[in-house]
Amino acid sequence: MKRKRLRWLEIVLAGLVLTLVGILVNNLAVNLIRTELGLSFKWLWQPAGFALSEHTLPYQPGDSTAWALLVSWLNSLRVIACSIVLATVLGVGAGAARRSLNPLLRQLAGLYVGLIRQIPLLLQLLFWYFVAFLGLPSEPMAPVGTLVSLSNQGIAILGLNLSVEFSAVLVGLSVFTGAAIAEVVRGGLDSVPKGQWEAFRSLGIGETLGMRKVVLPQALPAILPALSSQYLNLAKNSTLAIAVGFADLYAVSDTAITQTGRAIEGFLILLLSFLALNLLINGGMQVLNRIVVRPAQRT
Amino acid sequence: MTGSRTAYRKRLLQARRHPLQTLLSLVILAVIAWVIWSTATWLFFGAKWSVVTENLPLFAVGSYPENERWRPCLWLGLLCLMTAITLLQPLVSVRWRISGLALSWCWLAMLPIGLLLLAGGAGLQTVSSRDWGGLTLTVLLTCFSGLLALPLGILLALGRRSKLTLPRHLCRLYIDGMRAVPLIAVLFFGQLLLPLFLPVGIEINRVLRAVVAFALFAAAYIAEDVRGGLQAIPGTQLEAAAALGLGPWQIQQLVVLPQALRVAVPALTNQAIGLLQNTSLMAILGLVELLGISRSLLANPAYIGRHLETYIWLAGLYWLVCTAMALMARQLERQGPSASTSAIPS
Repeated sequence: MKRKRLRWLEIVLAGLVLTLVGILVNNLAVNLIRTELGLSFKWLWQPAGFALSEHTLPYQPGDSTAWALLVSWLNSLRVIACSIVLATVLGVGAGAARRSLNPLLRQLAGLYVGLIRQIPLLLQLLFWYFVAFLGLPSEPMAPVGTLVSLSNQGIAILGLNLSVEFSAVLVGLSVFTGAAIAEVVRGGLDSVPKGQWEAFRSLGIGETLGMRKVVLPQALPAILPALSSQYLNLAKNSTLAIAVGFADLYAVSDTAITQTGRAIEGFLILLLSFLALNLLINGGMQVLNRIVVRPAQRT
Repeated sequence: MTGSRTAYRKRLLQARRHPLQTLLSLVILAVIAWVIWSTATWLFFGAKWSVVTENLPLFAVGSYPENERWRPCLWLGLLCLMTAITLLQPLVSVRWRISGLALSWCWLAMLPIGLLLLAGGAGLQTVSSRDWGGLTLTVLLTCFSGLLALPLGILLALGRRSKLTLPRHLCRLYIDGMRAVPLIAVLFFGQLLLPLFLPVGIEINRVLRAVVAFALFAAAYIAEDVRGGLQAIPGTQLEAAAALGLGPWQIQQLVVLPQALRVAVPALTNQAIGLLQNTSLMAILGLVELLGISRSLLANPAYIGRHLETYIWLAGLYWLVCTAMALMARQLERQGPSASTSAIPS
């Protein structure tokens, strides 16, 4: 009796959802016909007509829009990958510092996390771009010999040239995500029983070694899932690069949509490209999970 | 006295035993001193604060008509008053304390009051939403999207745990899909694509479109937080409620949700703060909220190069509002109607 009623409820619900979707699609069709747009993906193969400020593969405005989107996707991937590395270093450092023996270091890390998390990322990105990097002198300055040269035209590290936009996005994303990762790491360290810390300290093992060999292997299973969700957040947040004029996936999709007027199609492609990015990060994290967690559990 | 002296001696002993740590502390202290010194000299002597001081009304209300400015200002003032009352609760004597429930209702009442004051009507001159801006718009976007997102998120969380297959899968699809997409894409959808999905002739204004987009996005995250709360409720509670003869809706409403939401409050607070910070993304899509108004100010030739001053001012404002929200949430959490009293209908 009850199961039958549930079945009916489900059928009614399905009907409602289908009707809603039908209405929306119908509205869309009516609007597309009314504005004489229709759906078409031909524009992808036509010349893009806009320049990209930076590209890893050869690109000219005469190349197709699809190519421009691919190049911008690679730009996104580049900045995300670099930010993930930098944010992890920052975050693990700050997270470990919050549980260090040095009270000053603890306070400093706490200040960093507390401050960064209360200020919008977009504001931070604007700060890094307009104040920190565009505020550099136009003449290259080299604080440590020829290793690093800084100017508001670009940054060169060991012969590797980075644009100002790229650097601003990289630093902004890393500092912001680093604070979040620090919290994740701190939570993971807290999940390790206190006796473990006391045990390695009483054995005379140094802080760094004990952290690396005793605490971290036990904290990692708790840290990794939250870490991968922070990486996904970082990837999503990288779309804010449009605010500082970095030619990332979202910025170029936006330009393409404004130029062609193909909002629906452009949006679909944007979503699909993002799906690909997400899958990439997820896959990478799963591989990492398998490498790191398995041996730790085996011992 | 002796206690502090032994503590000091202990420190000294530690310092002698850990020379590296001591060196590290000294280096950090030197860096901190240098940072504080250079920041302070810049703040008081280097910075030109005219970009902030000359434009305070713009930061507060945006391009709201000049002789109607008292309305958004009044609303902001009321909100500040409510914040002060809420935060001062533990300090005043018990006789003057307002119950958590009454306080919550007062906060809820702020929303229609704000809308009435901003939009006009009922004797006040109507002001188009195009003229709203500044901190007022930021707060308005946060409040209304939060208010829309919370019930939607709860429904999604319940749906995701439902016994029915179809709603469970639909809710999961929605939550996971929304959480995989960047917010700016959702906002873009709300601004440019949402009108395409509406019937011909129906148009909703940009602020409302932004609120809807924010709410749809935040609901997915809220749903996950509420689900976490729901999972914290032991199954025996459901069985006990069912044994008492409560129906499925009554069980959720009277037994499960009050407890689950209480568990979820800290996570929900984080979501609310995130929502406030995320409203700054509307600056990219052309609304003149707090960040948007600063961008247009910085484009003014009179304030060229005044980025740092503006950003520090904005960071301070955001920090202040976020901190106030966090403190208030902790307050309401401590003081609000406890699960036991709200679960039992009187």
